[in-house]
Amino acid sequence: MATVEEARRAAAIIRDAGGRVVGRTRLQKMAFILEAAGLGSGFPFKYKHYGPYSEELSNASRTAAILGLLNETELPASWGGLFSTFEVNMPPDPNIPESRRRIAQETVSSDAIALELAATALFLFLARLTPSDPWSETKRRKPEKAANGRLDQARVLYERIRQIQTPIPLPPLG
Amino acid sequence: MHDIIDFNVGDVHLERVLWRVIQTRPFQRLRRVKQLGFSDFVYPGATHSRLLHSLGVFHTARILMDVVRKYTHPFESAKADQALAAALVHDVGHGPFSHAFEDVGRRLGLKLADHELVSETLIRNGEISAEFKELGSGFADDVADIVSGNGSSSVYSAVVSSQFDADRLDYMRRDRMMAGTEHSGIDFEWLIQNLEVADVAYGVDETSLGQVQTFVLGPKAIFAAEAYVLGLFQLYPTVYFHKATRGAEKLYVELLARAVTLVRDGSTKMTGLAASHPLVKFAKDPENIDCAIALDDTVVWGALSLMADAKDECLATLAKRLRDRKLYKCIDVRTCIAHEKGDAAVGSPEADRVCADIRDEIAAWSDPQTGSAPRALVDQQTRSPYKKITETKGPLDQINIRTDGGHLVDLAQRSKVVAELQAYKLFRVYHDGDDFEAKSKIKQIVDARITKWQQ
Repeated sequence: MATVEEARRAAAIIRDAGGRVVGRTRLQKMAFILEAAGLGSGFPFKYKHYGPYSEELSNASRTAAILGLLNETELPASWGGLFSTFEVNMPPDPNIPESRRRIAQETVSSDAIALELAATALFLFLARLTPSDPWSETKRRKPEKAANGRLDQARVLYERIRQIQTPIPLPPLG
Repeated sequence: MHDIIDFNVGDVHLERVLWRVIQTRPFQRLRRVKQLGFSDFVYPGATHSRLLHSLGVFHTARILMDVVRKYTHPFESAKADQALAAALVHDVGHGPFSHAFEDVGRRLGLKLADHELVSETLIRNGEISAEFKELGSGFADDVADIVSGNGSSSVYSAVVSSQFDADRLDYMRRDRMMAGTEHSGIDFEWLIQNLEVADVAYGVDETSLGQVQTFVLGPKAIFAAEAYVLGLFQLYPTVYFHKATRGAEKLYVELLARAVTLVRDGSTKMTGLAASHPLVKFAKDPENIDCAIALDDTVVWGALSLMADAKDECLATLAKRLRDRKLYKCIDVRTCIAHEKGDAAVGSPEADRVCADIRDEIAAWSDPQTGSAPRALVDQQTRSPYKKITETKGPLDQINIRTDGGHLVDLAQRSKVVAELQAYKLFRVYHDGDDFEAKSKIKQIVDARITKWQQ
């Protein structure tokens, strides 16, 4: 279980994304991109097979739900699985940089798989886990997810996010 | 050993290579890493090594691959070889006392305390990779991808990672047998006889990704599947999370964190260890893979007598305690909640809130004084009887039973027992048995917070 402070930081990510985030994957990848841009909440990320993932963020969001800082609702997906919706009812923080809000809101409305691919490519690049270009490595690691034009969608999404001025400029990924 | 690597059946070429992989230094190191860490403090027979477990996983993987061969047309032997090799080397990166060592790594930011990263590195580069080259230039990378979960999901990778993977099918039986406990038994033969391959849906959040093949069970195996889930559920409180085992792990984490911190601060002389000791070398160069694999359980056991004479009082105290099995005493907070509020309250959201508050209050009270052993150590864990779900939940994360009508249903829909299972949660506070003030303070914090329980 995370600390109350960590739980508040997790809830704040959802608050800055507009108060509602659909999907655990979306929450994780959004938080990672914020972290990479120098606008994060201090959660450490590791590479897992679904891309960058923070156990600490996962624990913090669970604790936030226990403490009533956020509501997590599980809904059935059309494909037979379950996905989570996170909601917070917190007033906006006027001290939050506009760029953090913009990245959060750009990613919250994006396709979950394209976002996972973009976050994966960024992680592979930053962690120097790829000898080739990060997009090719992402495609190699996630062939099904990268199919049907989703890798191109991910590139477009990443470039859109990269246009936002951030304390740590997001790198070009080729 | 020749029963495991059987030159008379299967792919002789593959097995000759795997035989040589077993002879490599990284694999032989697993002889000196126990599968259950400190569990032999409780179950003296539980001293089996990760090498033994790894061979068992390989053996079970071959049995599972026969099921894949029966149900998959065409059978892809190249993918099967990669998965079998992955089963053999999947644990090669475990450090001393495995998961407890990872806790040290998380606390101090030691990348190579992460067994998954070390496994991947050892498989892609070095001695193991060199042996794999004979099977093709990309074979080592393909094996590493399966172990790390990259690449396409398929029924071949399900042999290594799924609800019915070879890892779990081996450790459930082996750990139970070596611990000597009689509960948690599974009907392995019946499970295997009823194992089938079917397509199940998968996706990311609300988006579908199509279907992927994995293991499912036939309708006659419902009760065997129920016992399989319940068996794991019983192993958590009795073996894996036994209070004495976890208490030893807590002391170990404090010990290693203290030793590494002293070395990093330039105070190696305070540790009782020579500059050339593998623990000191790792603390100084934690991103060096050679330093990481120089560590194993025996290195730590050998270091305890040296650290027991350390000038640093905290380190010496912790080393003596582990060496002599003088563990801290345990206050099980969830048991206190059950006593005061009834068994049904233990897993409730209010119990979680109570535990969170107690944890924060204890942390504020026991802020470690420099140079002395911690007065309180908090342990908290949650485990689902199914494999841990991290992101999207779906049919791949459940045990699917094929009905007589040919549909797939989640076991929880067919088994009332499984449907009623809640996650196993523990929250314990450990303290020095002679520190009566600490015991009294912890009890006071726990009692006061439970008294404030909100209905």
